[in-house]
Amino acid sequence: MKKILRYLNLWWIMSRNSFSIFLSLKLSFSIFLTGKILRFIFFISFLFFILQGTKTLAGYTSNQAIFFFLTFNLVDVMAQFLFREVYRFRPLIVSGSFDLVLVKPVNALFRVLMGGADVLDLITIPPIIFAVYYVGGLLSPTTSQTILFLLLIINSLFIATAFHIAVLALGIITLEVDHTIMIYRDITNLGRFPIDIYRQPLQGILTYLIPVGIMITLPAKALMGLVSPSGVLLSFVIGTVAVLVAIRLWNFALTKYTSASS
Amino acid sequence: MKIAKYLSIFKISFAQEFAYRLNFIMWRVRNVMQIFLVFFLWDTVFSDPGRVLFGYDRAKILTYVFGIMIVKSLVLSARAADVAGDIYRGDIMNHLLKPMSYFKFWFTRDISSKALNLLFAAGEFAILFIILRPPFFLQTDPLALLGFFLFIALAIFIYFNLLFIISSIPFWAPELGWGGQFLVTVIIVEFLSGALFPVDILPQMVQKILLFTPFPYLIFFPIQVYLGKISGTVLLGGLSISLFWAMTLWLVMNFIWNKGLRAYQASGR
Repeated sequence: MKKILRYLNLWWIMSRNSFSIFLSLKLSFSIFLTGKILRFIFFISFLFFILQGTKTLAGYTSNQAIFFFLTFNLVDVMAQFLFREVYRFRPLIVSGSFDLVLVKPVNALFRVLMGGADVLDLITIPPIIFAVYYVGGLLSPTTSQTILFLLLIINSLFIATAFHIAVLALGIITLEVDHTIMIYRDITNLGRFPIDIYRQPLQGILTYLIPVGIMITLPAKALMGLVSPSGVLLSFVIGTVAVLVAIRLWNFALTKYTSASS
Repeated sequence: MKIAKYLSIFKISFAQEFAYRLNFIMWRVRNVMQIFLVFFLWDTVFSDPGRVLFGYDRAKILTYVFGIMIVKSLVLSARAADVAGDIYRGDIMNHLLKPMSYFKFWFTRDISSKALNLLFAAGEFAILFIILRPPFFLQTDPLALLGFFLFIALAIFIYFNLLFIISSIPFWAPELGWGGQFLVTVIIVEFLSGALFPVDILPQMVQKILLFTPFPYLIFFPIQVYLGKISGTVLLGGLSISLFWAMTLWLVMNFIWNKGLRAYQASGR
């Protein structure tokens, strides 16, 4: 318990520092925030205009299709808020400055994974939660469906954590982070729409191998009452296994770190 | 002699892309992932082969999606995005001292990047075509094909000028180099150029306003000309606006660049 509190305190200090750095660059901050808001508005407008023409998407109603998109945004924004530091990992590895992280009495993975929360995403989380709450309400879920949705969102964050740890580990082994993290983003972007729209074998890959379906489509389906108990159980198993495998990969990657350039 | 100089830049730039092979391959993988999203979305929307929506049938919309791959590699693949870094790191000094045009240097690098990306995009196009087997609209009218290539050439010039204008920001505000590019190239160009969806699914009023901006002429308009959806006076109108933006952006770019060089303090050097 004492250890958890210590790390919570550390996270708070690191996040506060990260926020201060970003907030000191006011114009840059405004441009990035505008960009993120515009991207959301453009995409939801696009979805809205398509649904005006088609009325349904892969058998889902307009509200359901929009709810899939909002669920994607919720998971995506929360993961970016928590794990923004991953995007800054490559310079540490290439320059050898990662040595300075390793010698500190703090878990190195915790430092490079969660050491720089993103204030921009923090700002966008409340409106997205409100939108999820509002559109979700239009789907008339029961209490149990809502609880299941929330549990599956937590599971999604575990899978997102596993992905980010894997990116860090691959960064140590291959010195490549920038494109790997963006490929992760592109893959999760496929979850903007229900994965039912993809053909096999892509749909199978997105469900089990790269579990975007479990991260995004399944929680939304749970709120609509469209999942089976075995599907839910399997998703929690995949979430747990993904984190365990990612941590093992990280430990393996650490043994390959050469401290070159330092 | 002059051509030989830029030909050498072309060759070096082409070889440089292969120096970071993994980076390049991953960049191409990202492009394929993005095409998957758009392709399967429209594939689902047009799952009924007889459906006509927003003026598209299944063959035309899926040709539009595949067209995005090729047109993006021709228009939006550009090295000139690195100019901002040249300015705030001070590396631009090295170039300004050399006996060559800085614009032509970057334009040559852009052409090299486009050639390489087009090569890979054509390969991906063929592979995805075999895997996904979409119905494809093959344009056979030579005039439409000529119009398509003309609009592509204009789009390349418009985008080059646009990138240079955005990349000039670090002359005055070095910390905004990436922010400006993020807003214009990643958000505005991506959505308003038609790289994600055809602009004509938007309401008429929005379309009319958008067609007065340079963005739809980067992706949307060239593909529409290829699909034969635009011809006659509408095509001439589009050509006039496209030419207007090409000229205007070129003049603005030159003006800003001259002002920027005067404001430049060679920091970082």
